[in-house]
Amino acid sequence: MVTARRADPRGPSHAASQPAREQSRARYPDESGFVERDGVRTFYEVYGHGDPTIVLVPTWQIVHSRLWKGQIPYLARHHRVVTFDPRGNGRSDRPPLSEAYTEREMAGDIVAVMDATSTDRAVLVTRSMGAQRGLIVAGEYPDRVLGLVAGGPSLPIGERSGERDFPFEDVLATDEGWAKNNIHYWRRDFDGYLRFFFSRCFTEPHSTKQIEDCVGWGHEIGAETLILGEYAAGLTADETLALCARVRSPVLVIVGDHDAITGTGPAIALAAAVPDARLIVVQGGGHVQDARDPVLINLLIHDFVAGLEAKR
Amino acid sequence: MISRAAAPTVRHEPGVARRPDSSGVVTASDGVRLAYDVYGSGAPTILLLPSAPIIHSRQWKAQIHFLSRHYRVVAFDGRGNGRSDRPTDAAAYIDERITGDIVTVLDATDTDRAVLVGLCGDGVWRAILLATSRPERVQGIVAFAVGVPRLSPPHPHRTRWAFDDELPTDEGWAKVNRHYWRRDYPGFAQFFFEEITSEPHSTKAIEDAVDWALDGSVDAMIADADADFDLDLAAVEAICQAVRAPMLLVHGSKDSCQPLARAERLSELTGAPLVIVEGADHMIPGRHPVIANLLIRNFVRSLEEGEP
Repeated sequence: MVTARRADPRGPSHAASQPAREQSRARYPDESGFVERDGVRTFYEVYGHGDPTIVLVPTWQIVHSRLWKGQIPYLARHHRVVTFDPRGNGRSDRPPLSEAYTEREMAGDIVAVMDATSTDRAVLVTRSMGAQRGLIVAGEYPDRVLGLVAGGPSLPIGERSGERDFPFEDVLATDEGWAKNNIHYWRRDFDGYLRFFFSRCFTEPHSTKQIEDCVGWGHEIGAETLILGEYAAGLTADETLALCARVRSPVLVIVGDHDAITGTGPAIALAAAVPDARLIVVQGGGHVQDARDPVLINLLIHDFVAGLEAKR
Repeated sequence: MISRAAAPTVRHEPGVARRPDSSGVVTASDGVRLAYDVYGSGAPTILLLPSAPIIHSRQWKAQIHFLSRHYRVVAFDGRGNGRSDRPTDAAAYIDERITGDIVTVLDATDTDRAVLVGLCGDGVWRAILLATSRPERVQGIVAFAVGVPRLSPPHPHRTRWAFDDELPTDEGWAKVNRHYWRRDYPGFAQFFFEEITSEPHSTKAIEDAVDWALDGSVDAMIADADADFDLDLAAVEAICQAVRAPMLLVHGSKDSCQPLARAERLSELTGAPLVIVEGADHMIPGRHPVIANLLIRNFVRSLEEGEP
């Protein structure tokens, strides 16, 4: 656990670099609201009416629900779409304790938002770390999950590159590369971290807009709240594999072969560990394809959901 | 259970949103062969005009698939680039040759009349010339980055360096120079499209335009630059005032190729409405395709409703 040290709830770098003003949207929500669990309020939005409902699950709280802006307008033409901001970012609360940011809590928010929006069952669409909380819900509430999409899953299984292995708490001799993934650097130059991190998320050419968007969302959480999350428990490899074995719904795993955050290892391991999986490798794709390659991802999601419907 | 080896791979590479329904090559009266494409079957026909030989018909790639859902769309590679011939004598690039090419393509595609859509001087000015010399072939004009010569002085950065002189520098707009073009045409293309596509997040638009420039030839570019143009301001204004076809002018507030004053003056001379796109630079159809497409569609609708 780490002690919260926060003057501004959005972090020290917030004053230096204001988040971008709210952009115009291709599609506005039909309904929005807050759901409260243990005093923490989570902000959700609902778009469209079609069946089944698709829940676009938050990933690491370094970004919020606008990450899905390339999916919402398309998917909401065919489906009811639910999004929500992760605790720590967007319009959701920023609880000041690291225990509030565990994967279990994140999974609890998925179920709470489904309850609050009267969503009995849904297809869960996840990106990166969202796969952990998605797996918890799919494994422990199988009757509420029709299907699970895991894009660029960040999971503690499969082959991982060692490139990122710098100690988070040590004072390092360098700020270069993944050495920026360090508590002291975050506090010194959070903007520098965000720019570095998202430049690695978007390895595709012509990604300047996606990087700019994500850096803006990153400033809405700030270093101190993000640090709290770093000390919160994620899934272990054993827990992950146990959950995988319990998943009853079909799983679509999508990974870019240029993913510089997780590599393809966790995606391959996930596809091997769940009973009913399909793995798609996107040539030249990076870590956050929902934002960078929305047409491709939207069609893959749409086809996956259509396949579920056909099976029902 | 699934293994990596069994996983299908989706390629992450650009495709073409809409392929032509028919294509052809037609020979102009001076023997230059012109490659054209036809998309869709609606009415009226929209003819997407070539700009300078620095670029070819793929400059309209963000218009074709949208417009051809509603209308018949014809595009052709202007002489000097793409799949068309690249004459290297300056006489091949005078106004009359280019307006002749437009008529040649209209005839080859059995198009009695069309809505002309053009960009910059080479597109817009030739559309105006055709609307006055062959008014029965021109149903309307959408003019992007209104580049009618003489209507205002050029941007100062465009006149600082002489095109023909050996210059002491290669920096900035000194690259618009025949000697530099011969030395480093790719360097010119990169500089030029970066300058005139100055909006943030334009790396793809710039990369495309540079590729299209490099599809062409520096000899054609120099021949085009050397083509005679001897009309004075009064003659240009008289031609503009003679246009009877409905017209829509669209200009970026930050156009660094063509001064906004030219669009404003053309609007005064013709009474045509002028849409100023705030923050936009020169390459509006490529860089702001949704705005451009809707403006074209709404203009064509207004023609159909008889209230341009």
